[in-house]
Amino acid sequence: MKSEIQVGFVGNPNCGKTTLFNAYTGANLKVANWPGVTVEKKEGAFKYHDHRFKLVDLPGIYSLTSYTMEERLTREYILDSNVDVIVNIVDASSLERNLYLTLQLIELGKPVVLALNMMDIVEERGMEIDLHRLPEMLGIPVIPVSARKKTGLDILMHTVSHHRDKKLDHNLEHHHDRTINKHTNHSKDQGDYKHKHEHHNEYTIVYSDDIEDKIDEVSELLRKDYGEVDNLRWHAIKLMEMDEAVMRKYPIDLTKVIKHSYEGDIINQKYDFIEEIIEEVLVNKHKKAASTDKIDRILTHRFLGLPIFLGIMALVFFFTFQIGDFIKGFFEIGIGAFSEGTLYLLEHIHAGYFITSLIVDGIIAGVGGILTFLPNIFILFLALAYLEDSGYMARVAYVMDGIMGKLGLSGRAFIPMLLGFGCTVPAIMASRSLENMRDRRKTILITPFMSCSARLPIYVLFSQMFFGRNAMLVAYSMYLIGILVAILVAFAMRNKSDQSVGNTLLIELPEYKTPNLRTIFIYVWEKVKEYLTKAGTTIFAASVVIWFILNFGPHGMISDMSDSFGAMIGRVIAPVLMIGRVIAPVLKPAGLDMWQVVVALISGIAAKEVVVSSFSVLFQIGNITSPQGMASLSEILVGYGFGALNAYALMAFSLLYIPCAATIGVIQREMRSAKWTIFTIFFQLAVALLVSTLIYNKKGMVSIMAGIILGILIVGYTGFVIYKKSKDVKAGKSCCGGCSSCASKGQCGKV
Amino acid sequence: MTLQEAKIGSTYTVSSLSLDMVTKRRLEALGLTRGTNINILNRSRSGAVILMVRGSRLALGGRIAETIHMKEAS
Repeated sequence: MKSEIQVGFVGNPNCGKTTLFNAYTGANLKVANWPGVTVEKKEGAFKYHDHRFKLVDLPGIYSLTSYTMEERLTREYILDSNVDVIVNIVDASSLERNLYLTLQLIELGKPVVLALNMMDIVEERGMEIDLHRLPEMLGIPVIPVSARKKTGLDILMHTVSHHRDKKLDHNLEHHHDRTINKHTNHSKDQGDYKHKHEHHNEYTIVYSDDIEDKIDEVSELLRKDYGEVDNLRWHAIKLMEMDEAVMRKYPIDLTKVIKHSYEGDIINQKYDFIEEIIEEVLVNKHKKAASTDKIDRILTHRFLGLPIFLGIMALVFFFTFQIGDFIKGFFEIGIGAFSEGTLYLLEHIHAGYFITSLIVDGIIAGVGGILTFLPNIFILFLALAYLEDSGYMARVAYVMDGIMGKLGLSGRAFIPMLLGFGCTVPAIMASRSLENMRDRRKTILITPFMSCSARLPIYVLFSQMFFGRNAMLVAYSMYLIGILVAILVAFAMRNKSDQSVGNTLLIELPEYKTPNLRTIFIYVWEKVKEYLTKAGTTIFAASVVIWFILNFGPHGMISDMSDSFGAMIGRVIAPVLMIGRVIAPVLKPAGLDMWQVVVALISGIAAKEVVVSSFSVLFQIGNITSPQGMASLSEILVGYGFGALNAYALMAFSLLYIPCAATIGVIQREMRSAKWTIFTIFFQLAVALLVSTLIYNKKGMVSIMAGIILGILIVGYTGFVIYKKSKDVKAGKSCCGGCSSCASKGQCGKV
Repeated sequence: MTLQEAKIGSTYTVSSLSLDMVTKRRLEALGLTRGTNINILNRSRSGAVILMVRGSRLALGGRIAETIHMKEAS
């Protein structure tokens, strides 16, 4: 007997699965991606009694079909990996819906233990659950737990260790009266089924006799072709549902046995059995969740819903900037003292100019400047985590559905956009919850315009340098420009001829709850850790590289930066980037024609914060975010003729241009199309050029510039659409997933 | 009648879902099956509906709501 038990945590979204997982593992977990996909895989390990437990947190799902990546992944993990026990976390306050997944998990055939979470809410509402009858009807152990209060945790793992080899308890007791009476045809000649089936002591879910007949027949065929398949019954049921993944794995000819997919009947009969369970185990079921309804009456109000949401977002940004900047002041003092101390120390030990310059001008200037923004980023992520964990985020999708519908998107697409204020990478991953491929593609295209926290240092630095008391207003305006551009792009891409777009929202609204501090803390800590890691790796490396290209030229180390590699690169690229100058010499460029700015922007592709650290290295300013640092930088910039208008154009350009390397990577992984990724990059670059030129050139030539860039965009977009259409046609009858307008809709799933 | 025409606060029984297969399956997985009772909680100006089905709340956009047919619950 091996001493390590591998446990998979499975449950619906919002069932408290992650809170329970965190209660066992704490912040001590390993986050990676599942191989080949960008779905997060969380693992943690701990010891209890003589056993070592290895926990795997699977994505939140409602069902085990093969329609979504998350569901397929969970299913494959349970079937193929050597997981010993499945812990199915169930929200007791929404037992009926949650049990649907439970039944599917039991059918999969691995040992399942049911963790009944949120019993406190059930009690608050005056409901009761018969904890004796429920396990009897399901045939698996049921353990009441509270992930938030951390009760029942030991008993749950105790049960897991005892249940690892058992599939079903022996005391399975139920009759499926409802299923049998409703669906079996008891007419005179009993033509619809061959014989009565008595599986009630064998399986948790028993179907009507005609379906049981078919299961037997399909099982027989499957056995004939493939021998003893593990969990034959489940595979037979999935074949009857015409499940794509199983049909691919076991291709057999079923045309003689089944004429159509039984999926609809099987779903309905599972729910019939659930109704039977609910009737027997749930007492006082009609009590309502009064508090959630009361809150919803205000937050999802026809007229108040939207202003309330805007108010909440204004508050979030107020906290991020005002309170964040206040704390940031202390960080600056700390970093400044550290820089001076290091300089003193290096001089004291006679480290030499090369080392001193590398450490002080390169590393500390680059990385240190970025670290001072930690408080702003911390507060922003804290606010986003609070909105999500409280249950409000799903309401935002509902409130925004009207506006998003006008843009040809589902209200749900607003959630990735909102998350985009934090970081574009998880935001793009969150777009996966959109079922429609075209919606996803559109959302992925516009999400990078939502100003992420990495761009915040750029705004803070330049707005404080050039706009003094209006700095905060200027920073806010960047967020507005981002939202506006996103809306315009979505609006322009809206396909009027296709009536199926828009208003296709489909989302569960969880009960409101006081956010769990531990869950929020762990979430924010993950983000802070990512930020620190980025500062220590990407930004560190970029700072060293920039320091190098600025302090070295063709003739070795130099003292005048304008002879450096950096200046050479900048001078070569600057005119290329200034398309305006090339196309029409009369046009003033976007005001970004300084080689230093060009270098900073190019380095910003590594990570947007690098734009700021590049400025500090470029102009050799140690403590760039301190008042003195800013004063000297703005003095230098103004000396070059770089004024407030240039600064504003630069901020807008930084907001809109090519996304950071990590974002490009995630777009490529999500879209799996190099053409699309490259299109996104150039599209954003064009938008950035257009907008910053518009800002810099007040009148006159603006329209010409806009016309040229718009023209390029339209040609590019038309080309893309044509390419896309031809590809769709080639794809033919494949099951694409969800386009109700698809010409081959009728063939879907039947191939 | 369809879900779009439903009265806030009333209870109805689902009689059919005329949707594309994937959306239909998703709704069924969430408990919105033929014969289920649903209770209408709210409707937005754009036609999105919040409803209670099998103890959980769902928000559905107008285009989905208009394809869900139902009758008044007995």
